[in-house]
Amino acid sequence: MRFVVRRLSMFLFTLWAAMTLNFFIPRFMPGNPLQALEARTRAKLSPAALESILSSFGYKPNAGLVPQYFTYLKDMVTGQWGQSIGLSLGQPVRDIVFQSLPWTLGLIGLTTVIAFLLGNVAGIVAGWRRGGTLDSWLPSTLVVTANLPYYWIGMLLILVFATTLNWLPADFNYDPSILPGFSPGFIGSVAQHAVLPAFTLLITSIGGWILTMRNNMITTVAEDYVRMARAKGLSDRKIMFNYAARNAMLPNISGFAMSLGFVLSGSVLVEYVFNYPGLGYQLLNAVDNNDYPLMQVLFMLYTVSVLVALLAADFFMAWLDPRAREKG
Amino acid sequence: MRRTKILAAGAAIGLAAAVAGCSSTKHSGDTGSSSTGGNTVPALSANLKAGGTVTIANETGATWNCQFNPLTTNQQEANGYLYESLLYINPLQSSATPTPMLATSYTWNSTDTQLTFDVRSGVKWSDGTAFTAQDVAYTFNLLKQYNSLDTYALWTAPSGGGAGLTSVTASGDKVTMAFSTNASVFFYDVANMTPIVPQHIWSKVGNPGNYTNTKPVGTGPFVVSSCSADNIKYTANPTYWMPNEPHVQTINYPAYLSNDPANNDLASGKANWGGQYIPSVNSFYVSKSSNFHIWSPPVANVSLIPNTAQGPTANLSVRQAIAYALNRAQIAAIGEQGEEPAANQTGVVTPTFNSYLNSAALTASGYSAQNTAKATAALKTAGYSTSHPLSLTVKTVTGYTDWDADLQVIKQELSAIGINITVLDEADNTFTSDLQNGNFQVIMYGPPAGPTPYYELHLMLDSANDQAIGSAAQGDYGRYKSAAVDTAFAAYASATSQSAQQAALEQVETAMLNDVPLIPVVESVDWYQYSTAELEGWPSAANQYAQPSPWTYPDVEQVLLRLYSKSAQ
Repeated sequence: MRFVVRRLSMFLFTLWAAMTLNFFIPRFMPGNPLQALEARTRAKLSPAALESILSSFGYKPNAGLVPQYFTYLKDMVTGQWGQSIGLSLGQPVRDIVFQSLPWTLGLIGLTTVIAFLLGNVAGIVAGWRRGGTLDSWLPSTLVVTANLPYYWIGMLLILVFATTLNWLPADFNYDPSILPGFSPGFIGSVAQHAVLPAFTLLITSIGGWILTMRNNMITTVAEDYVRMARAKGLSDRKIMFNYAARNAMLPNISGFAMSLGFVLSGSVLVEYVFNYPGLGYQLLNAVDNNDYPLMQVLFMLYTVSVLVALLAADFFMAWLDPRAREKG
Repeated sequence: MRRTKILAAGAAIGLAAAVAGCSSTKHSGDTGSSSTGGNTVPALSANLKAGGTVTIANETGATWNCQFNPLTTNQQEANGYLYESLLYINPLQSSATPTPMLATSYTWNSTDTQLTFDVRSGVKWSDGTAFTAQDVAYTFNLLKQYNSLDTYALWTAPSGGGAGLTSVTASGDKVTMAFSTNASVFFYDVANMTPIVPQHIWSKVGNPGNYTNTKPVGTGPFVVSSCSADNIKYTANPTYWMPNEPHVQTINYPAYLSNDPANNDLASGKANWGGQYIPSVNSFYVSKSSNFHIWSPPVANVSLIPNTAQGPTANLSVRQAIAYALNRAQIAAIGEQGEEPAANQTGVVTPTFNSYLNSAALTASGYSAQNTAKATAALKTAGYSTSHPLSLTVKTVTGYTDWDADLQVIKQELSAIGINITVLDEADNTFTSDLQNGNFQVIMYGPPAGPTPYYELHLMLDSANDQAIGSAAQGDYGRYKSAAVDTAFAAYASATSQSAQQAALEQVETAMLNDVPLIPVVESVDWYQYSTAELEGWPSAANQYAQPSPWTYPDVEQVLLRLYSKSAQ
């Protein structure tokens, strides 16, 4: 119980600290929303009019930082997220977030899960058959692919599969001429548009899982209980999955929990390259245009998701390993 | 790669594509059909049959919010499509007669302080209500009531840089506007840039500044058929007032978040109308199909702005040395790959504004071609040479790769005479902040265009726009102060004849040559790519009826009214 209380209070303190930074750091960036709007309207429009447009959407250039900070804390907690004062001028931040969230969760979230599953299975097999065919080329290839920049892979895939071969669409989350709905055409279109960005992420993220899993397997396979299992004459498959892999996977599980936490903030550049309207892209626009209301909500979501994932991983490890509970 | 036109947006992706054969998949929008309308109308391409789809591929930078407030937040996607202004003035042919739109004619009084419009009869709002002169007067008075709508400062006093509008009244089919002083330079904003909204709807919406207008009712040639974050689909307005218009029945305007995807869709033919920078456009786009064309009319300058208030560039000799040392043709050929032409030191954009150019003065000044001898001499006057070089920092925007390439050429040309420049690429918001606050030695910038050279030069040189270094100025970023130039701008604004305007502008050109307050490098163009595979009627070098990019409003309407489907004929 003491463990739970300590972890929870640490969680709340970190959350408060992060949210405070989220409020102040954007406001110390150069420029302000008014200058960004003037730049977007290319100095054609009257600054007085632009300022009163922004004011009508809740921008208070002259209010002090401290009162604004307390309003901000209250608004974040109560869900009064306000309206965008950047590129999506006047659109409620809630709408922007809920319209982008499913796409990021769907694309990045699913890809993270798939990369984890595939990567672990491949790592198990490679580690089990150490020095085998798979193991001889896989690790060296993966060291390379895991370190390639993912936007570069994305551009390469676009060049080959979209521009040259014309097999797959290179932009958007679905064909914009289709009305969204539960129709086979729409779902097919969504799947088709997800292929290239998903492969981009898969190619670059799967390597890490495979390499860790392979190395853990090699260590575990040398353990006494595996030799014991062999001595008992158990089938290879049973030893591989039930004895070796089960233990080798433990470190990867907490890594997986953390990478789920990073899904939301995940892939600004992948969304940018593939014109995929998810949260990462909204963040880029918010930062470019000093869109404080949108920026602070997105940062809050990222913070909360990472902290929740870490907390969950802590509890999970504590449940798996009683020693973690004692050490607190 | 980014060359942003941010408030401008748009792009449209091809039709259908998707997974074929799924009969329950609903595609957005059906085609409407055009019908007949009222009285005297502009002569457009008559007797053409309806049909065809325009698909725009142009960076939006953000997803659509599906709101259509034409006065504040959604000027880009509402004006020209859904809402119309009183007249259309073509910035590329500013001396031509304006095209009558919601007004059939206009008259100024002799002092250009009172403007009367005859408002067109027989026009209907898209909900069926008749459009009247009352709507026009209502719209302009709304701008007075809500400061946030008055984006062109029409009601602001002339001392504050506004037009000095004092009253707008409707009587019968006439709308009369009174100004406190000669307001002819604001004619473009009043007649061309201000969209007219329906009184019977807008009088009931509360604060129109943040009215979302998700179900727009306008007089324009199109109505919104469906809208999602990814795409706006417009279809022809069946009750549009111009007979037999529009010919094109559907517009798809997808939201492209960055340039590259939009450029790819143009090159693959998925989209047929583009409006942004494409690197190596000839090999990337034009060579892909005989139907793909480009035309990019120059509309303004990209200039090096020297800080005239402080630092080494406050010294005229230094500014002269830079202006003499530049080989602008080379910068255009290498840095811009020939996609933007060279500028000249008068600041008058050629060939668009050729009639205003004082070419004799330009030739006499010696700035018409690179002159390293004069450059070296001028720099020597300032106390610098190749053995004692001057170091300057030039700021520019990150992502404008063509400007970076220009600056590399400039760097070489200037180092030859003894100026070492350091290029500093800044993020958008830092750049804007430094530009407005005068926090630079030299900064590269491309101001917006106007229908005559006055608009750009006035923004960049009139010291009325000035602020102290460190405070945000709304123009004259280099802090140039010249009583003669200010007087010339005032003379232009109060001129009632074109010859008087010409004389005033020539004084400004003289100051550009003598004082070098700006160093124009290349001319910024309206980027424009179009495909004739399905549609004809596009603006082109041979037929410059409007500014051609899809993000320029209200020009976009003139293009949409002239486009027609080849296969439907």
